[in-house]
Amino acid sequence: MPRWLAHVIVVAVFIAAVIVAFSRVHYAWNWMAVWEYRQKFLQGWLVTVALSLASLVMSVFVGAMAAVMLRSRHAIVEAAARVYVEIIRGTPLLVQLLIGFYVVATAIGLENRYIAGVLLLSLFSGAYMAEIFRGGLEAIPRGQIDSARAIGLTPWQALRLVVLPQAVRLVLPPVAGQLVSLVKDSSLLSVIAISEFTLNAQEVNSFTYSTLESYVPLAVGYLLLTLPLSALARWLEHRFRYEAA
Amino acid sequence: MRLIGPFAIAVLFAVAADAAEPLRVGMELSYPPFEMTDTAGKPAGVSVRLAESLAKNLDRELVIENITFDGLIPALKTGKIDCIISSMTATPERAKSIAFSEPYLTTGLALLVSKRSPVVSAADLDVRGRVVAVKKGTTGHHYAASTLKQAGLLVLDKEAAAVMEVTQGRADAFVYDSLSIYRSHLRHRDTTRAVLAPFREESWAIGLRLGDESLRKQINTFLDRFRADGGFERLGDEFLADEKAYFQEHSIPFYLR
Repeated sequence: MPRWLAHVIVVAVFIAAVIVAFSRVHYAWNWMAVWEYRQKFLQGWLVTVALSLASLVMSVFVGAMAAVMLRSRHAIVEAAARVYVEIIRGTPLLVQLLIGFYVVATAIGLENRYIAGVLLLSLFSGAYMAEIFRGGLEAIPRGQIDSARAIGLTPWQALRLVVLPQAVRLVLPPVAGQLVSLVKDSSLLSVIAISEFTLNAQEVNSFTYSTLESYVPLAVGYLLLTLPLSALARWLEHRFRYEAA
Repeated sequence: MRLIGPFAIAVLFAVAADAAEPLRVGMELSYPPFEMTDTAGKPAGVSVRLAESLAKNLDRELVIENITFDGLIPALKTGKIDCIISSMTATPERAKSIAFSEPYLTTGLALLVSKRSPVVSAADLDVRGRVVAVKKGTTGHHYAASTLKQAGLLVLDKEAAAVMEVTQGRADAFVYDSLSIYRSHLRHRDTTRAVLAPFREESWAIGLRLGDESLRKQINTFLDRFRADGGFERLGDEFLADEKAYFQEHSIPFYLR
């Protein structure tokens, strides 16, 4: 059976199951009320797209920096990165957002909640990225670097030509998973009154009392963002596999 | 918190050997002194007392379901609860999807204004550049979303966060009911002003499923009797003595009745 056909069959069965489940709930559907707010859904979705893209780029950057720091020979640098990773991973994002915005951002005079939100989300996701990157770098046997140096490559060349192509391939699946989580975690930014997708759907729910009608589009909207992300990761994986082989 | 989801707390009554279905009352336990939990985590407050009396009156066991405010109406509509006693204003919009009992409390929308803001009354809110904070799903939210076209709107999950937006000067004003505004103002006297005279009067009622006429009749009969017995008077004296005195003194409408 061709791959695509298998996918089509599985998706069709899934959709059928969802339709059966929904038809069994005695629920008075009212799509008209929600349709009136389509502009609000679109605006919220666009805000989520923008927040996600900005946080995506920044969290990869933050994660790479922290990963390098975690491997530093300087005890202070390493300790700083370790404390950052453990504090961020060990506390709820909700608390980080509330304290980060109402206390830290206020203290340093950062007034724009959207910038603060992107920074906080990037710091959050960056901690997870750091450990993924560190794992990828450390999976490359030390002997390869020694060999690369032995044939005359500089440390930078050894990193760029030997370590990174392999490490990138190793970290791509977990990084893709982390980025998908990041997109969904952006919904928590609503606690600091950032008008993103989830908050807008909740508002429509509270105006129309049409809960399922508000949240089904929400699920679809997030899938529209996360599925391309997964596809991109798989494509990159394929490319790097070819290059490394 | 929203992430934990609704959890149920059963309150058992001495009406043993009663086979009647329990009365499931939905409320959000985060609005003292109406809906809150005591130090042991048990539901407490004016609405809890009212629900207890109602259940006793109907000879049914009481189950209190703690549900976030904007989840109450969906819970009622899908049959997860029988009625809502959660300081809910009977608005025309809500009356399209649920029924209401006779009102039992009159209050109104008021403003908590930042000391740094030039806002004096509700009429000053709808100006480009003004920022208005509201709590999601409340009548303040509906008011702001439908009438304020120029001002920026901050929609928050928690009352505390909305108050913080005002005390830190990020928002000009927080639109909420006059009692809550009064209480928040007392806690933040040096950073806020309170505009308590309601610019929109509201009354709270018990929410019911549309068409649930028998329960509506029973509840209205109960409310009449509870009122005649001085039940509201006693609850007001117990939970809201200071506020009652202050509001009466300044002739701001706020009646439990």
